[in-house]
Amino acid sequence: MIQRISYAFRETIASFRRNMTLSVAAVITSAVSLLLVGTTFLIQRAFDNLLVQWRGDVGMIVFVRPDASADALAFIKQNLESQPNVIDVKKLTYLDKAKSFEEAKRVFVGDPTTLSLLSIETIPSQFKVVPKTTDPTLVRSLADQYRTLPGVTGVSLAEDEFDVISTLSSFVRTVTIGMSLVLLAVAVILIWNTIRTAIFARRREIEVMKLVGATDWFIRIPFIMEGLIQGLAGALVSCGGLWGLNRAWTSGVAGFKAGTGVSSLVVPSGYVSGVMVALLIIGAVAGGVGSGVASSKFLDV
Amino acid sequence: MAILIRSWKGSFVGAVRNPSKPHKAFVGALPGLARIAKLCFFMIRLENVSKMYGSDLPAVRDASFDVAKGDFVFLVGPSGSGKSTLLRLMNRQERPERGNVWVAGRNINEMANSQIPYLRRTMGNVFQDYKLLPNKTVFENVAFALEVIGKPKHIIGQQVPQVLDLVGLSGKEDRFPHQLSGGEQQRVSIARAFVNRPLILLADEPTGNLDPATGEGIMALLDAINRTGTTIVMATHDHRVVNAMRRRVIQLDRGVIVRDQERGVYE
Repeated sequence: MIQRISYAFRETIASFRRNMTLSVAAVITSAVSLLLVGTTFLIQRAFDNLLVQWRGDVGMIVFVRPDASADALAFIKQNLESQPNVIDVKKLTYLDKAKSFEEAKRVFVGDPTTLSLLSIETIPSQFKVVPKTTDPTLVRSLADQYRTLPGVTGVSLAEDEFDVISTLSSFVRTVTIGMSLVLLAVAVILIWNTIRTAIFARRREIEVMKLVGATDWFIRIPFIMEGLIQGLAGALVSCGGLWGLNRAWTSGVAGFKAGTGVSSLVVPSGYVSGVMVALLIIGAVAGGVGSGVASSKFLDV
Repeated sequence: MAILIRSWKGSFVGAVRNPSKPHKAFVGALPGLARIAKLCFFMIRLENVSKMYGSDLPAVRDASFDVAKGDFVFLVGPSGSGKSTLLRLMNRQERPERGNVWVAGRNINEMANSQIPYLRRTMGNVFQDYKLLPNKTVFENVAFALEVIGKPKHIIGQQVPQVLDLVGLSGKEDRFPHQLSGGEQQRVSIARAFVNRPLILLADEPTGNLDPATGEGIMALLDAINRTGTTIVMATHDHRVVNAMRRRVIQLDRGVIVRDQERGVYE
C-alpha cells in the first residue's frame, strides 16, 4: 500500500515537472478565478454589513428609546398594526435591545469608537416595518406621523439610507460572480488540457501498464492527483492574494471618518478565513473534476 | 473450484448459443464434465470468433481452435490476414462481434472490465517493436511490470535479476534501451513479459525487426520459456523460424483459418 502511494506521488511530481509551463498556466488561472470568487464573497459580505438592518424588504425602522415604558411600546405596536393597508402586519418584527445590539456589532464593525459607546442598556430597540405600498410619499407621511409618538427616538427610511448602495451591490455581485464563473470554467478546461497533455506524453507507458495488468485506478490516480494539486495550488495563491487585499482594504477604510457608513464595509477576519477554506475546497474540487474527466476520457481504460 | 464452476456455467451457455453445431450441443447436454475436462486442459479456446473493423471485410471470420496448456503455436499468414487481431482478441484488447474466447477456463468476452487487469496478469506480451520505455533502464523496464501490479520491493529485487539471467542480460541491468542491440532489446521485452511467470505468452512478430541469427537466439529463448510449461502463441511471417521449430502452425488467409497442422512448416 505504502509502495503504491509513494508511486503515485513520484509520478505526480514527475509529470508536474514535465509539463511545467502548462501546469503553471493552470495554477495561475485557477488562482485568478478563485481570487475573484473570494473577492465576490468579501464584497458581498461588506455590503451586507451596510444593509443588514434592511434585510427582508424592510422599508422603515422605528427606533424606540431604550428607557421607553412597556405601555409606550405597546402603544407603538398597536399603532403600527392598525395600518394594514400600508404596512404588511405579518412581517412586522420587533428587535429587542439584545438583538439590536447584535445587529449593531455588524453595522459598526469597522467603527469601534461608535460601537464602544453602545451597550445593551443604552441601545434603542427597533420595529422593522415592511411597507405594503410602493408609493414612497405614503410611507414618508407615515414615518413623519410616528416620529411624534411618545417613546420613539427616530424613524429611518430605507430609500434615504441605501438606495444607491443596494443597486451598486447587486450590480457588483452580478458582474463578479459572472466573471469568476467564466474564469473558473477556464481553469477547469486548462487543468483538463494539462492532464490530456500529460496522458499523451506518457501514452507508451500507459499502454505497457495496461498490458501487464495495472488496474484502471492505479493508472488514473497520479493524473487525478496532478489536477487536484494544481487546483489546490491555485487556491493557495488566491488565499494569499485575498488576505493581502483584505488587509489593504481594511486599513484604507480605517482612514475614513467615523459615521460615514463606509466603516461598515470592513469584513471580520473570521469570515475571511471561512472564505479561504471555501476557496481551497472549490480549487481542489475543480482540479479533481477537470483531471478526473480527462483521465477517464483519454485513458480509455 | 470457482473457475470450474464458472467454466461449467459458461460451457452450458456456449452450447446453447451454438445450436448449429450438434457435437457442441451434445457436449453441453452432458453435465458439462467433458467440457470442464477440456477447458482445464485447454489454455485458450476460440469458438466461431468473428471480428470486424468498420463495415469492411472481417479481420477474422469464424475462427475456432484450441490451444492446449504448454503448447507452442505459430499463427502464420501474410500481413493483414488477421494474426495480430487474433492475439488482440486473446488478451481482450479487442472484443469479437461474434463467438467466444476462453482463456484459462473463463469466457473473457463476458468478463467485467474491472477483471481485465487480472486476466492480463496471467499473460505476457512481446511485440515486434519491443515497446520498452526509453527513459528507464533494463532493470527498471522489467521491474515496472511488477511495480504496477503492486508487487513488493523485495519480490522485485529477487525476481528481476533472475529473469534477466534467464534471458542472458546479466550485467546489463543499468543500460538504457538505446544502448542495446535490437536482439538485446527484445530480450528485455521478453524478460518483462515473463517476469510475472504468466500462463501464456503472446508474441506478435518478435523476430520481425531482427536479423536471422539474432532471431534464432530469440526463438531459442522462447523455446526455453515454453519448456517451463508456458503456453506460447506467436504470430509471424518468418519462414525460417517456423520451419526450424516444427511446431503447430495455424495459417490464416484474409481472416479465415485455412490450415491447422501439428508440427507444420510455413508454406
